[in-house]
Amino acid sequence: MRLSLVRQLLLLLGLAFLPAIGQAIYYRDAPSWQQRPGDSAPVTLAQAKAWGSAALWLDARSEEQFTRGHVPGAMLLNEDDWHSLLPPVLGAWSPERKLVVYCSRQTCDASHVVAERLRKEAGLPNVYVLEGGWEEWEAAAK
Amino acid sequence: MKRNTILALLGLFGLFAGTAHAALVWEKSEVELNPSLSDKTAVAHFKYKNTGEQPVKITSVHSSCGCTTAALAKDEVEPNESGEITATFNIGDRSGVQNKTITVMTDDQPAQAKVLRLKATIPQLITVAPIFVYWSEKDKLELKTITVDVGDFPVTKLTVTPTDKSIETEVKPGANKKQFLIVVRPTESGRPINASLKIEPDYPKDAPKLFYANVRVDSRATATPPPQ
Amino acid sequence: MTSKQARFGGRFFVRLILAIAVGGVFLYAGALKVRDPLRFASDIDHYQMIPWTVAVRFAFYLPWLEILCGLSLVFQRLFAGAIVLAGGLMLVFLVATAWARLHGIDITCGCFGTASSNLSLTWHLVLDGGILAALLVLWLIREPMPAANPA
Repeated sequence: MRLSLVRQLLLLLGLAFLPAIGQAIYYRDAPSWQQRPGDSAPVTLAQAKAWGSAALWLDARSEEQFTRGHVPGAMLLNEDDWHSLLPPVLGAWSPERKLVVYCSRQTCDASHVVAERLRKEAGLPNVYVLEGGWEEWEAAAK
Repeated sequence: MKRNTILALLGLFGLFAGTAHAALVWEKSEVELNPSLSDKTAVAHFKYKNTGEQPVKITSVHSSCGCTTAALAKDEVEPNESGEITATFNIGDRSGVQNKTITVMTDDQPAQAKVLRLKATIPQLITVAPIFVYWSEKDKLELKTITVDVGDFPVTKLTVTPTDKSIETEVKPGANKKQFLIVVRPTESGRPINASLKIEPDYPKDAPKLFYANVRVDSRATATPPPQ
Repeated sequence: MTSKQARFGGRFFVRLILAIAVGGVFLYAGALKVRDPLRFASDIDHYQMIPWTVAVRFAFYLPWLEILCGLSLVFQRLFAGAIVLAGGLMLVFLVATAWARLHGIDITCGCFGTASSNLSLTWHLVLDGGILAALLVLWLIREPMPAANPA
């Protein structure tokens, strides 16, 4: 029996759901359903500022960029010198504090990488990445 | 009517394909690098050639992170001229697979950003997990364990040196030949401790590499007596 | 012309070859993506057309739809539906590619998984255009020819 075009379309569209749902069930524990894999929780500048002294600001850019200008009170923590920069950060940290990591522009991945290393390697909770990065802070400061 | 429609569509696609041809052609847009344990940088060369009839100007070269610098010999590329962009990736304290991009903008038509990809697989001598052990003021000063997994290298021994004498450490064999356990125990209470553990594998012998774990003990934690 | 010649004439072979070729492409493309749906979700996300939560769900569904289309085309079952669906999928990919170029986004297309990162954008569009043209031809010749000597 020849089905009409519409029925054929619906049948194909519907049948594809079955293996798709099966595969989704297999991947059900993947944390990427809500967030891109490896993404730390983003935080807006306003939210981070509202945390006040509970926020520990971390600059993931190069030392040169940090020297030129950084968020007041921020600590430098990048992958170039991770081993020597990390201990003072851990000294300043406490379980109630919220870590806000930033770098240049949204497309820079340094802040995400540093945040991920803090979460995975150091096991620290409450690690966030600043949306808009350093440029967002500079724009708000003007 | 049907034949004409097909011909028209094919013609349109051909036209589209014909106009979308850029003059600057890249030999490779993805380079994979495998630096050795002792390397501090990894360098990639991206070669290009101007196959068009007009000079092409490279207007900007921008990398995705500060760790990769891209150098250009000159920015104006004459017809038939070749050149290259040298990307130097600073390894620093990075490990594992690193993906970095370099975006090149030109005045080529059709104007587009060319993304060059650099993939560096940095060998991991050992992996330390976790790199931070912490006792809050409420925690009892009980043992904590750091697991060290060895990569594809002949490491047979680890030497662990705490930077604070009140931190005791002991290295034990792990679940297999490629694993070690570092048992950490603070012996004092009453003062806050913020120390590092210097971890030194016995390979490579000529250029030893140091790894670190961090220990923090907040004051007023109660000490447990050492095991008998 | 005998009835047998009418049934297995030139039109039949053109349809067979095109159906297997285009069906094969869809099977290949779908199989590549089905192996790593999260990587495909990342590729869709690069187009920045839809939010991540939608992209990840599409990434699980689309490859299976492609595989099903491919099978339908190769075996010429639910044929008309498969042609229309395949054509629709190609149009979506072409529009997405045009959108990304317009927004200056560099993409490795993601159409053929990691295999596509070696094809330039132009060749992608040429390939996609070729597939679309083949689907159009299939649509036009989809009906088997009527018997030369009707009863």
